[in-house]
Amino acid sequence: MRIVCPFCGERELGEFTYLGDAKPQRPPADAGEDAVYDYVYLRDNIAGVMSEHWYHGGGCRAWLKVTRNTLTHEISAVEPAAGAGSAKVGA
Amino acid sequence: MADFSWYIRSPLERALVAGRYGAPGEAGVSLTEIRNFDLVQVMARRGKAAETVNAAKARFGVGAPETPEAVDTTDATLIWSGPDQFLVLSRGGGQRMETLARVFAGLASLSDQSHARALISVSGDKARTMLAKVSSIDLHPEMFPVGTAAATSIDHTSVTLWRGKNRQDGQAVFNLLVFATFAESLWHTMLDSAAEYGVTIAHSEELA
Ligand SMILES: [Zn+2]
Repeated sequence: MRIVCPFCGERELGEFTYLGDAKPQRPPADAGEDAVYDYVYLRDNIAGVMSEHWYHGGGCRAWLKVTRNTLTHEISAVEPAAGAGSAKVGA
Repeated sequence: MADFSWYIRSPLERALVAGRYGAPGEAGVSLTEIRNFDLVQVMARRGKAAETVNAAKARFGVGAPETPEAVDTTDATLIWSGPDQFLVLSRGGGQRMETLARVFAGLASLSDQSHARALISVSGDKARTMLAKVSSIDLHPEMFPVGTAAATSIDHTSVTLWRGKNRQDGQAVFNLLVFATFAESLWHTMLDSAAEYGVTIAHSEELA
């Protein structure tokens, strides 16, 4: 598998580290125990297209959001995760 | 209390034995460690990337690289090292932290890496063939011309790799910066890869 880093170009899998599902959002502070439990522990086991966080630690050290089909490994989109390269966009 | 005496020595001091190594005949690869350099990491602060590039332009005459490339200026090389960040490489005593802190004041965060990295220059007519064994990047001149840089890994070790100006005999030159503590391991890997082509091993105080 190869990932096209938006900053570096196409690189082999060995340069990247997998973090997991990019969908879960940290709940607000007053959301309650169930919401926090859900956010920290519960994950869908998706067979198909999934949004994932990957870290280009063996390269530019940017966090990426990768859209990948877990059945075929086909990658349909790669974008910088929030914060990566943010000095440019002022995010 | 114990007395400490600090002195500067190369992370490759033990591993590097100058001379000929590997297959006899004309050496296909030259491995040279450059020992006397200043290296400063510049990371633009949030929303300050464009101003950081401009500050580099005001000081060096060229903007800081915004894509993976290495730009030579009269007294430094600016090397892309990631989004909104680059390295300033110069001869020892050239572009020190104190000097650059004034150039990028309020725009970027700086970190002195001068003694945290080893600088290795790989050249010779088998240099690319040898590097192809250990790097997954296509270093063919059409894909990786002079001035191209890459933040990548060789032998599971993070390196900053860039193609410098050709040698006087026209041979390509690949430079790489590696963390000091990983330098010896990477050096042995490259030496093993280069042995079948014959290697000339040297160190130099001169930044090419
Ligand atoms: Zn990258």
